Amino acid sequence: MKFDTIIIGGGLSGLVSAIESARAGRATAIVSAGQSALHFWSGSFELLGNCHGETIIDNPLGYISRLEENHPYRKIGTEGLQRMLARVPELLKEAGMKSTGSLQRNHFRLTPLGFIKPAWLTLDDYVAFDSDTVLPWKKVALVNIYSYLDFYPRFLEFGLRNHGVQCSMASVNIPQLNTLRKSTTEMRATNISRFLTDDAVDALAEKVNAVAGDAEAVIMPAVLGIFSDEPVNRFRSQVKCPVWFVPTTPASVPGVRCQLSLRDYFIRLGGQYLPGDTVKHGVISNHRLERIYTENLGDMPLEAENFVISTGSFFGHGLIADMERIYEPVFGLDLNVSGGRTEWYRKELYDAQPYMGFGVITDDKFRPSRKGETIDNLYATGALLSGFNALKEGSGAGITLATALSAAENINGCGTI
Amino acid sequence: MTLQQQNRSDNNFESCIKCTICTVYCPVTTVNPDYPGPKQAGPDGERYRLKKPLFYDEALKYCLNCKRCEVACPNDVRIGDIIQSARIKYSDHRPSLRDSILANTDFMGTLASTFAPLVNFTLGLKPVKLLMDVTLGVDEHRTFPKYTSTRFETWYRRKAAATQDAYDRHVAYFHGCYVNYNYPQLGKDFIKVFNAIGIGVHLLKKEKCCGVAKIANLCINEATRDAKLNLESIREAVGNGMDVMLTSSTCCFTLRDEYPHVLKIDNSDVRDHISLAVRTLYRLIEEEGVKLVFRKDFHKRVAYHVPCHMEKLGWGIYSTTLMKMIPGLDFVRLDPHCCGIAGTYGFKKEYYNYSQGIGAPLFKQILDSHLDSVATDCETCKWQIEMSTGLPVENPISLIAQALDVEATMKANGVSVAPPED
Amino acid sequence: MKDTSKDYDVIIIGGGATGAGTARDCAMRGLKTILIERFDFTAGATGRNHGLLHSGARYAHTDPESAAECIKENIILKRIARHCIEETGGLFVSLPEDGLDYHEAFIADCIRAGIPATEIDPAEACRIEPAVNPDIIGAVKVPDGSVDPFRLTTANVMAARQNGADIITYHEVIGFTRDQTRLTGVRVLDHKTHQESEIRGRVIINAAGIWGHHIAELAGVTVNMYPAKGSLLIFGHRINKMVLNRCRKPGDADILVPGDTICVIGTTSSRIPFDQIDNMEVTPDEVDLLLREGTKLSPAMAWTRILRAYAGVRPLVAADHDPSGRSISRGIVCLDHSTRDGLDGFITITGGKLMTYRLMAEIATDMACRKLGVDRKCRTAEVPLPGSEVTAEDECRRSHIIELSTEQKAIEERHGSLAGRIRTDDDADDALVCECEQVTVGEVNYAIEELHVHNLVNLRRRTRLGMGTCQGELCACRGAGLLERHDKCTRRSLQDLASFMNERWHGMYPVCWGESLVESQFTAWLYEGVCGLDPSTADASSTAPQQ
Repeated sequence: MKFDTIIIGGGLSGLVSAIESARAGRATAIVSAGQSALHFWSGSFELLGNCHGETIIDNPLGYISRLEENHPYRKIGTEGLQRMLARVPELLKEAGMKSTGSLQRNHFRLTPLGFIKPAWLTLDDYVAFDSDTVLPWKKVALVNIYSYLDFYPRFLEFGLRNHGVQCSMASVNIPQLNTLRKSTTEMRATNISRFLTDDAVDALAEKVNAVAGDAEAVIMPAVLGIFSDEPVNRFRSQVKCPVWFVPTTPASVPGVRCQLSLRDYFIRLGGQYLPGDTVKHGVISNHRLERIYTENLGDMPLEAENFVISTGSFFGHGLIADMERIYEPVFGLDLNVSGGRTEWYRKELYDAQPYMGFGVITDDKFRPSRKGETIDNLYATGALLSGFNALKEGSGAGITLATALSAAENINGCGTI
Repeated sequence: MTLQQQNRSDNNFESCIKCTICTVYCPVTTVNPDYPGPKQAGPDGERYRLKKPLFYDEALKYCLNCKRCEVACPNDVRIGDIIQSARIKYSDHRPSLRDSILANTDFMGTLASTFAPLVNFTLGLKPVKLLMDVTLGVDEHRTFPKYTSTRFETWYRRKAAATQDAYDRHVAYFHGCYVNYNYPQLGKDFIKVFNAIGIGVHLLKKEKCCGVAKIANLCINEATRDAKLNLESIREAVGNGMDVMLTSSTCCFTLRDEYPHVLKIDNSDVRDHISLAVRTLYRLIEEEGVKLVFRKDFHKRVAYHVPCHMEKLGWGIYSTTLMKMIPGLDFVRLDPHCCGIAGTYGFKKEYYNYSQGIGAPLFKQILDSHLDSVATDCETCKWQIEMSTGLPVENPISLIAQALDVEATMKANGVSVAPPED
Repeated sequence: MKDTSKDYDVIIIGGGATGAGTARDCAMRGLKTILIERFDFTAGATGRNHGLLHSGARYAHTDPESAAECIKENIILKRIARHCIEETGGLFVSLPEDGLDYHEAFIADCIRAGIPATEIDPAEACRIEPAVNPDIIGAVKVPDGSVDPFRLTTANVMAARQNGADIITYHEVIGFTRDQTRLTGVRVLDHKTHQESEIRGRVIINAAGIWGHHIAELAGVTVNMYPAKGSLLIFGHRINKMVLNRCRKPGDADILVPGDTICVIGTTSSRIPFDQIDNMEVTPDEVDLLLREGTKLSPAMAWTRILRAYAGVRPLVAADHDPSGRSISRGIVCLDHSTRDGLDGFITITGGKLMTYRLMAEIATDMACRKLGVDRKCRTAEVPLPGSEVTAEDECRRSHIIELSTEQKAIEERHGSLAGRIRTDDDADDALVCECEQVTVGEVNYAIEELHVHNLVNLRRRTRLGMGTCQGELCACRGAGLLERHDKCTRRSLQDLASFMNERWHGMYPVCWGESLVESQFTAWLYEGVCGLDPSTADASSTAPQQ
């Protein structure tokens, strides 16, 4: 089967490359081995929140020159980043998601544990502050769903109180959730959101109004709108004060929403999405990847002009570690890993863990190499890349998106369709 | 010795990293709170069952075995296989008369097709439906598939067998119970298409039910016996240079994957030779220049539903690509969604409501799409969608057969053997 | 904090199995008793071993006295600690490289020690235990089993409390009060409030394991102990049904014990300096050794996921006449410091093993009673522990266990006849907090209210929360949320959460490859990334008591 572009990996990075390729009129396919880390998304994308221990607020792109030389941001450059990342809000909007944020200045998101962290883009319905010192409210109501365990009002209250916000706390129940509650394991955000449609939304709004008191805003766990904005809009129109959502731990409603929205947008653009399939190996000759073979398609290969590999880090199995070595399993690409397993980690969890910085080595266009030889029509993007520690920098989503868009730009800019 | 190179726990249950993604995609959990969900029923429960078998929970029977959890799992945990294997290993529930009737599709098919008009008439009667509901626990709302009076195998021997040797190339056909007893037309369509491109179609020496219904109803001894017989016939066909074609995604999935993973029967020597007709047809077109010529007067607006097991096989792409080749076919994509029937599951009174609840979003999308028909590769999806939407449901092979200009196709492929009559 | 102005008959230092067992025994004999633990119950060697319910067979050849003690206690524990033990049975298997010489002598030694050891055909051994190396040339069946040291210690603490003992955790003994040659009490530091106070007692029992070396020093006497580190690996699920032992002279990595949902291979053995006993590290060489030797016992270990590595310290006690430390006793050591050192009111109970904790408690309590002039018989071998009583109500519930849901079954297993105390009246109580180990909201609340739980580590030891496959990834946050509702100190709860995740990591990094590394990365993304759990929060917690 022949395509113009094939993307290996169906997470955020893969989907964005694929969408841009399909938008340019290229026959595009995604091979996705199971669902991705996007399912745990907080509803905010980070660009660069921290540089050498300093929290970044203004002009995050201005810090790029202070990053290590082989950092993906350095390879794209400030100008390139400006151009590519400006595309992200549009792209989200095309896929059906509205967001706020600016490349000129970070804003702040509220984490599930009540910490306030810098962010670049946040979905419209989620808590976002312009400043991490002065918050927009004096008094808010933290409203949980009765017996829901993954929302932490007291931690949020602690975080907000430290910023001068007075919080009331309540939990509410509606009969529509009683069936779900009978399950000991399934009272989770994504399942709750399936029940919160139509009249259940109205009932919930009524209960929330009853406990909101004189709060300026209601803050709730993100348990609405897994498939569309409709329940959120309906809910917000009925609650007497503004409602904001805080993401929850896995799997998150904004994460699943984003995954499904991007996937559906890609398919609407005519893309071919192959879920649950794993690329086993590829045929490379003359510095070009000619075709790949997958688990499900067996001996019937997939061919393309260009390939993108966005298989992620260890979580996505883009990298595999065994007792002795770390390797990239599809093509055996060159990695920046040195030393045995004692060199992979630090003893204290919160130290910068070396394994977090492992990934494939690429040229300035993010083309990886094998045994030192660059593969000309293969681009690596996202968490599979080396040269950064996304957790410590607060840069994961920005790198994922920028490298995905860079790969798409390189592919769409080369050769005719 | 190489230590710790890879995790090899049974059905990869230890590869689970507790990310909970499977629970997002399980169609059962939101309609049935008694089902513990794929994570708890699968890898989490497995650790406890290994501790003590008494941790087995009969609620695992609510699993549809749709494998959507497996498709979603980022870590290749065969969650559905873990659950089905646990049912086989630990359940002391024995199949009821109802379950045996539903599971023994081939035996019941033989019986019913012999008395087809009577059976079809009777099964359609309200009092009989009510009786079956009360006495057997087959839901009274369920429409039974019609039985044919001339089995596919009979038709094949009478009308088709004689000419098949005349072709240059050959495949074997695992028609399945449904084609044989209920809907021979699909088998005829398959032969029509393959004959038109110059390929002779042969039946296996002996074909038993693939076993999917027996596995689901825990008739494991019978399923294992049938599986071994089927593999024997398949090996013989493969030995004669023939690949084995199917037109049912569920039968195909069962032969290829449930045999080794759930029944623990090794089929690795022939697995790659077992394929869906759509996949092979696509390969012939792409790799060998086989041509399909379509009629100009064929016009249909058709939505394609990917059966769960087709999603798991990863072969929906072949059905859709072939359908899109038909010029008069207005292709509509449906969201990936379980129809809820899961073979015999939806026939059972106690599951009927869950079954319809699971399929509801799919039915709504179908009804909203102004279609002439729905295409799918699975017969039980067909029953469910037909019953729940009133629209006709056809196999992609049947659509190709309807749209095919047989003479022109034969000519384009240099075929001169006359096709069998209907 | 208990009322410490009271005078006690007995003060017991150390909340391991021996300390808890001694508190139970003393309290059952009517002594006014207090148990003082520096951190949490089972924080030392009690919580860091195999969890093997020895039949004694392991010592039959080298130490017949220990072997006889073991089989006696084995039978007693099966009677009194039903919900803490599992009668898995055990095999001693000979590999071709071991030969059969030891095997022959071994059976005779077992019989001599009173251990029912039966030789079985290697093929039969493979049938009853499919995980064993199929190359074995000899097999002996013995009544080994597994014991959950956390549950066992908790049950002893509860029994002590029921009999009137006071129990305080997070109180460290920092000195003694004395009257000439007699100790009259202890000075303690409350790790929560950082306040010091005094507790008076007529007899003080040092049951602090290897830390007893330091306690003795504080009292001004010398007990020559040597810390011997033993490292172990925990696998993700039960590979084996029965305890597997190598039939040879006891050595490294020759026991594989199925315990609760997991199994444990161990151990290594190496002397370490005293300054390492509070922060032991499992080295890559030890991991390699455990795997290399372990796979000979059960080949499945070569491809089974390893959850974590940990190490415990055995207190080896040098014989009194040999200050060089070369002559080491592995048996029970009970020192009367009055006759030995001229210090009245002070007893040290040490050596021994988890298996003989009850006997150690009995010996120490006997000595305390003699000092106090009390003449009451020890009944700890007859009276079942809380949770192991056989009541009509319990019998009835257990006969219907098959109908229960998985988490309810798990609660039955963990809490035995006390399972009924865990609330299940509301669907909210049944919601799972820890999915890997099936810990419900009801169980967490019960543990917080009844079982001396102040932080997530305590909660883990009482319930198994965070001990499963994901090592806290899903449940730590939820557990912290529930704990905070009781504790009401949000800052401390966040710090506790941060340090709990760090504590889990300490066991994971030595085996951090394959799925364990995937899990670690996922956990880090969630906690540090999505939740923004801040390193500065964690730093602040490093001063707080965590063990």
